[in-house]
Amino acid sequence: MKAGAFLKSLWTTDPQRVARQYLWGGFLFLLVGGLLAMLIRFQWAWPGQPVPGLAWALPESKGALTPPAYTAVFTMHGLLMIFFAVTPLLFGALGHFVLPLAIGAKQMAFPRLSPFGFWAYAVGGALMLVSFVVRLGPASAGWTSYPPLATPAFTPGLGQTLVTVAVLCVGVSAFLYGLNFVVTVVRCRAPGMTWGRMPLVVWGLFYGAVLNVLFVPVLAAATGLLLLDRVAGTQFFIAGAAAVGGGGDPVVYQHLFWLFGHPEVYILILPAWGMVGDFVAFFSRKPAHGYRLTAGAMGAVTALSGAVYAHHLFTSGMAPVLGRTFMVLTLLISLPAEVMFLNWLMTLWRGSVRLTSPMLAALATMVVFGLGGITGLALGAVATDVPLHGTMWVVGHFHLTMGAASFLAVFAGLYFWFPRMYGRALDERLAKVHVLLSAVLFIAVFGGQLVAGYAGQLRRLYDPYQYTFLAHLLTLNRWTSWAAFALGTVQLVFVVNLVRTLGWGRAAEPNPWRVGTLEWTDAGPGAVVLRGPHALSQPEVQEQLGRDWIGQAEPLSSSKPVVEQVAPPVPGVEGAV
Amino acid sequence: MAESPALSPASANDVAPPDAQAPLAVPPARGAWSLSPPENASATGDRIDALLARSHGFDLALAAVMLGWLLLAVVRFRGARKVAPDGGTRRSRAWVLGLALGVFGVVDGTLFLGSEGYLRDVLWNFRVPTEDPRTVRIEINAHQWSWEARYAGADGAFGTKDDVVTWNDLRVPAGVPVWVQLVSTDVVHGFSLPAFRVKLDAIPGRVNQTWFQAAREGAWEAACYQHCGTSHYRMRGVLTALSPEAYAAWLHEASLKAVQGYDADDTAAHWGWVWRTP
Ligand SMILES: [Cu+2]
Repeated sequence: MKAGAFLKSLWTTDPQRVARQYLWGGFLFLLVGGLLAMLIRFQWAWPGQPVPGLAWALPESKGALTPPAYTAVFTMHGLLMIFFAVTPLLFGALGHFVLPLAIGAKQMAFPRLSPFGFWAYAVGGALMLVSFVVRLGPASAGWTSYPPLATPAFTPGLGQTLVTVAVLCVGVSAFLYGLNFVVTVVRCRAPGMTWGRMPLVVWGLFYGAVLNVLFVPVLAAATGLLLLDRVAGTQFFIAGAAAVGGGGDPVVYQHLFWLFGHPEVYILILPAWGMVGDFVAFFSRKPAHGYRLTAGAMGAVTALSGAVYAHHLFTSGMAPVLGRTFMVLTLLISLPAEVMFLNWLMTLWRGSVRLTSPMLAALATMVVFGLGGITGLALGAVATDVPLHGTMWVVGHFHLTMGAASFLAVFAGLYFWFPRMYGRALDERLAKVHVLLSAVLFIAVFGGQLVAGYAGQLRRLYDPYQYTFLAHLLTLNRWTSWAAFALGTVQLVFVVNLVRTLGWGRAAEPNPWRVGTLEWTDAGPGAVVLRGPHALSQPEVQEQLGRDWIGQAEPLSSSKPVVEQVAPPVPGVEGAV
Repeated sequence: MAESPALSPASANDVAPPDAQAPLAVPPARGAWSLSPPENASATGDRIDALLARSHGFDLALAAVMLGWLLLAVVRFRGARKVAPDGGTRRSRAWVLGLALGVFGVVDGTLFLGSEGYLRDVLWNFRVPTEDPRTVRIEINAHQWSWEARYAGADGAFGTKDDVVTWNDLRVPAGVPVWVQLVSTDVVHGFSLPAFRVKLDAIPGRVNQTWFQAAREGAWEAACYQHCGTSHYRMRGVLTALSPEAYAAWLHEASLKAVQGYDADDTAAHWGWVWRTP
C-alpha cells in the first residue's frame, strides 16, 4: 500500500514537483558526467597511468584507462552532460519550476505531458547507466555518433545501441516539455501578462522551447535512422566500400545532426541569457536596460540558430558557395549577442549593485559566456576555422559557452529560486564561495584548453604526446588537469550547503530578494498583471510603499501625489515597453 | 586493408613503412611553455597565421573591455543609493546599437574579409595546382588507422602498374603545389597537416580535395582529427618535403620497385582513380 502510494507520487502533474524530480535527476548525471571528465583530465596529465581508485572498474589494466575505455569515457561524458544533465536542469528543473509561476499560469498547458516527459528522460538515463556494463562495451563513437563509426560494423557493442535509444528517449522528453512550454506561454499567461511584461527568463525558456520543438525532431530523425542502421540492417549512412550494397551517405547524418546540434547550443544558453538579464536588473535595483532590444536580440539569435549549423562542416568538403553562406550567417549571429551583452553591462552601469549569490553567479555566467562567445569568432570564419577545427580550441570554446555558462546559470537559478522551491534558504556565504571558485576554475580549465588548441593539440586524442609537435604540451595539460580536479572538489561546497540546508536550514523569507515577479509575489487567483518584471526603484513606489520594488500584479493607489523626479519621465510600464 | 601498417604483410609493392611510433627525426622546436601555433611549413600559411593572430588580438581586446567594464561597474556602483528608474533612454539604447554595430563591423568585418581573401586566393583556388605543370598529385585513402598514399608513377596516371603506394609516409617536393584527393573506405577520418594549416575530412563515398605547398625541406607530422575509433590517436603519418631532385629520384626508384612487385590478383591494392581535368 505504501509502495503504491510512493509510486503514485512519482506520477505527478504538479510542475513544481516535476521540476524537483528533474533537479535530482540532473544532479545525478552531472555527478557521473563530471567524474568522467576527471578521468579524461587524468589521462591527459598522466597518459596510461593507473587512475587511483579505479582498479575495481578496469581490473585488467589495474585502473589505467585503455584506449577503448578512454573513447567510451569521452563519448559518455559528452552525451550525459548535454542530454542528461544541463538541458534537463535548465528546462526540466528550473523551467518547469519558474515558467508557470512567472507568467501566472495555474498549471502547464498539458499537465500530464510533464510527468510523461520526465519518465521518458528517466528511462533514457537508466539506459545510459546500463550501457556502461553491457556486452561488447559501452558507446564509444563520440557524442556526435558519426556513422559509419557508429554503425555495428565499427562499434558493435550493445552499449552504442542502448545509448542511441536513450538519446531518442531524452529527445521525446525534450520535445514534450518544449511543446508544453510554448503552448503554456502562448495560452496560459495571467490577465495583463503581455509579451512585453514577461521576465527575460521566460523569454529565454520560451525561445529555447521553440527550438526544442523545431529541432529535436531533426535529432530524432538522425538518431532514428542511425538506430535502423544499427539494428535493422538499413544503410542510410553507410557509403562506398563500407556498404554491402547500394549505400547511403554519412554526410547526410552530419547535416541532420548539426541542424539539431547547433541550435542545441542556444537551447542551453537562452534560459541562461534570460536569467542573466533578469538577475542583473534585480540586483542592480533598476529596470533592465533596453528590455525590448534584449528580448528582440534573443529572438534574432533564435531565428538564426538553425541557419548557422553548417559551420561545423567547414572541413567536410562542402561547396564554396555553402561555406561562404554559412560563414556570413555565423558571423551575423554575433551582432544580436553583442546587443544583448551591452544591455547587461548598461543595466549594471549606474545601478545599485548587490552581490548576492545569484547575482555573482549571473555575473560569472556573463563572463564565461562572453569569453566563450569571443573565442567562437575565429571558428565562424572559414579560413581561421580550418587550423582550429577539431582542436582543443573548439573544446575550450564550447565548454565555456555550453558548459561553464550553462552550469553557472543553473546555479544562479538554483540559488535564486531555492527558497521558493524548498522553503529554506541556502547559506549565502557558502554559495558565493562555490560560485566564485567555480567561475575562476572554469576559466582556468577551459582557458588551458583554448591555449592547448591554439598550440595545435587535436581533441579526443588518448595520448596527444604521440605527436612530436604536441609533446611539449604535457606541462600545460597537467596544470589544466590540476585546475579541473580543484573544480571538481569545489563542488563539495555546494553539496555541503545543500545537505545542511535541507537538513537543518532556516525557513526562507517569502521574498528574500525583494523583487516583484509573480513567483515571489503570488497575488492569488484572478490577479491582473499591471507592469513589467523589473519595476525597481520607481519613485512613486518608493514614495507610497517605502520600498524599491513592487509586485507585477500589485495595485498602486494613485491617491497620493506623485513627487516629480529629476529622472526622465517614467512611461506607464517602466522600461518594459 | 584496415590493418595497421605494422601488422600488414610487407608487400613488395609497398615502400617500407616508416615506424610511425618512432620519434620524428626533427626535434620539437618548442619549449614547454611555447604556446604559439605549430611551426608553419607552408608557403601560404603566414597569411592564415596573421589572420588568426589578428582574431586573437580582437579576442583579447574584447575580453579586456568586457571584464574591465563589468568589474568597474560592480566596484563603482556597489550598493549605490540612487539609480535611474527606467530601462535606459532613447540615446543610451542608440549607443548600445551603435556600439554593437561598430564592434561587429570591425571584428567580424576583418575576419570575413581576411577569410574571404584567403579562400579566394588559396584554400578554394584550385587554379594554382591545375595550372602549374610541376604540380604533384597524391591520392590518399584513410583507413582505421593509417594513411595510405598513392602516387602516379612514371606514366603519370593513377590506377596503373607503376603506382607508388606508401603507408603513413608522405613525400612531396618543396616549393611545388601538392594536390591531394582524399577518400576513406571505412569511417570518417580527418586528414590534417598542422604545419601546413591543412585540414579536410576523409568521408566514405566521396572524393574531397585540397592543396598545399611546402615552403622548405623538412619533416612534419600528419594527424587524424576526427574520432575514428580506438586507435584514432595513433593515426599518425610523417610528411617529408624533399628537394625536387631528391623527390624525383625517390619516385623513380619506388615506381620501378612497384612495377616489379605488381600483383594482378591483389585486388585490394588497386584502388586508384582517374583524375578528371577540371
Ligand atoms: Cu582517423
